[in-house]
Amino acid sequence: MKIPYGWVREMVDVDLSAEDAADRLVNAGLEVASVTPIAPDVKGVVVGEIEAIEREIGESHGHRLLLCRVSTGRARFPVVCGAPNTTVGVRAAFAPPGATLPGGRAIGVAKIRGVESHGMLCSERELGLGEEHEAGLLLVDGAPLGADLVRLLGLDDRVLEVEITPNRPDCLSILGVARELAALTGARLRPPKIALRESRQAARALARVRVEAPDLCPRYTVRVISGLRIGPSPAWMAARLRACGLRPISNVVDITNYVLWELGHPLHAFDADRVSGQTIVVRRAAAGERFTTLDGQARPLDGSMLVIADPERAIGLAGVMGGQNSEVGERTTRVLLESAYFDPASIRRTSRALGLRTDAAYRFERGADIEGLVAANDRAAQLMAELAGGVVARGLLDVYRRRRKPVRVRLRLARVERVLGIAPPRAQARKILTGLGLAVRDHGGILDVEVPSFRRDLALEDDLAEEIIRVWGYDKLPSTLPGGATVRVARESDRLRQEGLVRRALVGAGLLEAVTSSLSDPTRAGALGATPEPVKVLNPLSQDASHLRVHPLEGVLAVVATNVRRQQSDVRIFELGRTYQRAPGGDTDTSEPRWLALAVTGARRDPSWHGGADPVDVYDAKGLAEHALAALGVDAHTRSGGGLGGFEPDCHGSLVTTAGEAVAEFGELAAAARAQFGIDAPVFAAAVRLDALPAARTFERARPLPRFPSVQRDMAFQITEAALTTAAVEAVIRREAGPLLRDVAVFDVFRLPDGSRSLAWRLTFQADDRTLTDDEVNVIHARVAARVGAELGITLRGA
Amino acid sequence: MGHPRVDAIAGEAREAIERAGSSTELEALRVRFLGRQGALTQLLRSLGTLPPEERPLVGAAANEVKRELEALLDSRLAAAVERERRQQRQQARLDLTLPGRRPPPGAIHPLTRVHDEIVSIFVGLGFSVAEGPEIETDFYNFEALNIPRDHPARDMQDTFYVSDGTLLRTHTSPVQIRTMRAARGAVPVKIIVPGRVYRRDVADASHSPVFHQVEGLAVDRHITMADLKGTLELFAREMFGPGSTVRFRPSFFPFTEPSAEVDVRCFMCAGKGCRACKDGWLEILGSGMVHPQVLRNGGYDPEEVTGWAFGMGIERIAMLRYGVDDLRLFFENDLRFLRQFA
Repeated sequence: MKIPYGWVREMVDVDLSAEDAADRLVNAGLEVASVTPIAPDVKGVVVGEIEAIEREIGESHGHRLLLCRVSTGRARFPVVCGAPNTTVGVRAAFAPPGATLPGGRAIGVAKIRGVESHGMLCSERELGLGEEHEAGLLLVDGAPLGADLVRLLGLDDRVLEVEITPNRPDCLSILGVARELAALTGARLRPPKIALRESRQAARALARVRVEAPDLCPRYTVRVISGLRIGPSPAWMAARLRACGLRPISNVVDITNYVLWELGHPLHAFDADRVSGQTIVVRRAAAGERFTTLDGQARPLDGSMLVIADPERAIGLAGVMGGQNSEVGERTTRVLLESAYFDPASIRRTSRALGLRTDAAYRFERGADIEGLVAANDRAAQLMAELAGGVVARGLLDVYRRRRKPVRVRLRLARVERVLGIAPPRAQARKILTGLGLAVRDHGGILDVEVPSFRRDLALEDDLAEEIIRVWGYDKLPSTLPGGATVRVARESDRLRQEGLVRRALVGAGLLEAVTSSLSDPTRAGALGATPEPVKVLNPLSQDASHLRVHPLEGVLAVVATNVRRQQSDVRIFELGRTYQRAPGGDTDTSEPRWLALAVTGARRDPSWHGGADPVDVYDAKGLAEHALAALGVDAHTRSGGGLGGFEPDCHGSLVTTAGEAVAEFGELAAAARAQFGIDAPVFAAAVRLDALPAARTFERARPLPRFPSVQRDMAFQITEAALTTAAVEAVIRREAGPLLRDVAVFDVFRLPDGSRSLAWRLTFQADDRTLTDDEVNVIHARVAARVGAELGITLRGA
Repeated sequence: MGHPRVDAIAGEAREAIERAGSSTELEALRVRFLGRQGALTQLLRSLGTLPPEERPLVGAAANEVKRELEALLDSRLAAAVERERRQQRQQARLDLTLPGRRPPPGAIHPLTRVHDEIVSIFVGLGFSVAEGPEIETDFYNFEALNIPRDHPARDMQDTFYVSDGTLLRTHTSPVQIRTMRAARGAVPVKIIVPGRVYRRDVADASHSPVFHQVEGLAVDRHITMADLKGTLELFAREMFGPGSTVRFRPSFFPFTEPSAEVDVRCFMCAGKGCRACKDGWLEILGSGMVHPQVLRNGGYDPEEVTGWAFGMGIERIAMLRYGVDDLRLFFENDLRFLRQFA
């Protein structure tokens, strides 16, 4: 919210620069995003009068270019001007040669269509005061000729961009900010004096108000003002509105906006002659009722929305926006001036449902001042009388059935100290609260505080504790550490511990960790053939982030795709993350299983002088998954196939624990999925179910080192049958070799010319109690070779 | 000296060893003279065929020669091996400036690094780690934290909904309520809650619809805002350097009262003011005393216990720490970015 500081200073006697005032406000909880001059660099611009239009010299952008004679009282200047409102006799902003405009633009003598222009008549935009340009020159009728425009319009002021938290609607005005500054500095607050002269005619005789929905409209007031002459606002008011970022429209409308900024309460003026029977009915909209708001949009309403109506039709959307059918226009002479209080939640619902966020709705949904709204109505009526020739009828129509009960809070200073760890002396606490406009009665250590209607955020003792420390200064808080006799050892959670172990293992293996968004494109899950029911976002920002990821590989594959697209074809990446799926149970009928996901593509290592740029294959993905399992002390064997989609069916396996639980899957990414992600090269991936795994390896007893030497023997088989797996052969070897076999490992695999495979194993034998003799081992070795050959029908090679 | 047969073998062996140039030749000589079928071994085995009076003489002489030859072979072999390694190195034209065979470097993601650092500082201060679901109920995410439906405070956190009453948590604060309820009124509660959160913000250099927070909560019989300040000061010194100081500014969060924004003295310009901080202070977290209603919602009597809570964004701290000016880099995972954290 833009707050011109000069306006604030009219209401509070502070002797602070705008920057210093901003600092004080920030330290009291009112964020000030910036302090900027209203019209930076504007110098030498004065009030000039167009005395005569000498001739037309051409056309520009559809407007006639006119050579005018402009007077500043002391001198006359030939000036070329193309503004549509160039008229003899008007006074306007004039930059004579030597003046400066925003951005340091120096004004001199310029040739336009061969005609010399000595200076320039300026629009609002040219002066940096607003966006308005099409309307033409910035008019300052009635201003003294030759007067300095900056001084005249207060353009040397600075504007605070104040960001008000939702709990402080009372600060959404000049008065509110002034009140804070007064409380912070002890300076006197001077709210605008309201001097209202009423006519003899009673408002009651001119208009009527009927509130049919008092739950949504606890208070509704109307003043009747007649005799109005609609015209432009005076230059000072228009300038102020512009400084606040508002567009001046006409005196009556501008006054409602001016008072909104000044006192913080939204007002609305209805053209009384367009309100049937001058009778206002506050009611819920009828189902299916349509209403055209001021912005020209026809809007469908429903029964939860509150409208302001006359006996025949809606004329306003309560607290949100007025209607075209009762809008104040050039011919308006009488208005019904509304100042009301609407239920915040109802305004918020309506405003959101219609997508109509207005200054009025913004304030009403935060909570208006149900008592202060009368002053706002009076103030606007006063200004209409002063500036638009209005005659204010006697009395205020005020429908206010259930009066607000005063809010009283009992504040123990001991509580303040208990919460903050420190408290100011009692007298100071009292002074702080009084300075904020709260009524305080002191009962020695206990303060009885009455909260004014504009401070809706104060209802509890701790709310007042905050007010005290906020004004006293957060820098008064000492720094201590929590005491207490109990000492507890804090721990990382099991999950973090487990993820840390897996992460370290994979980083040690040369993988890079990725962190990806869990909002995903449903086509990804589709391409990966994910089966769980996904969790969809009802209000996504975009289609490609409209589901929570449901397949564990969605993130890492997206990372592969990104990098391959950026000419980085060798990717070895992992992520520790969750997937999300619908699953009955819990608070939300969803579950969030945790995964290690990894993917590799391209070369296993960077090419180098010692070679090694071999392409990765499925055994890389499998090995990395096994490596992660090993980091948690989990042993697993392989089973072909698995439950996850997205792998090539002939290159997809699972790792199964000794307890029979499948804890990981690996394989080659299916071609269809690859195409969906836009990856050309083969990708190998694995997903490990972290929830199925222990938090860490548990170590029991260490084994003693062997005391006797081991003996190794190799054996190689030729395997013709494609279905016979390494694991199957190895199982028989183990069984047959018996207890002296300590280790068996495949160390050589190759394909023979006839298409069959050769697999070679190295067997390690060892006994705990003696040195094995060659003969002993040879016997076992021969027996194993014979039995494996016979049982599986394979041939021992090189025997 | 000993025995002519022994002497003959010894002489032949000594001469052969003297002549041998390579380790291979020496190994062959060891086999030839001392091996199972070697000359000396054969002689010792054939002692039985000798006349009894010669046996001890020949045996002693043969064993002595065996020891001598073994020692000679060992020393000649060691010299030969060393010589051959040298020749090998020379032949290989060693160029030590060639790159070594390095294992590929892995890297922990920068967000994880910052996460781990924050968590370990608070674990060191006696906070245990708690976690919670990312798909939350409106109750835990908002209602229980004093943010009723149709309240403008909801605008502070634009929310993704997944069904009526279910949403993607907008902060880690729901875990406050879950933890307090699970404690069933017991104190002290001291937890740190790292986690992923969601806001309906369009991604740009400083916003992401998905990001990470760390939340802290302490509830005890005597715990004050001064303790909050002291704890966060300690944290700032650990995280940002021993010279760090913090500044509390009043703010508003519906679930704390009083509330404070916490700034840390800018560690890039030492508080002088720079591009990252503007006025010498960096806004890093929000905090405050747990609102009495929130304590009640957690099953505590606010007259009996007090508490404080704080929350910070991991991305924000990582951006400051590593001088990253676009938050999206963290989620893009370009390898050239990630490798910088190896």
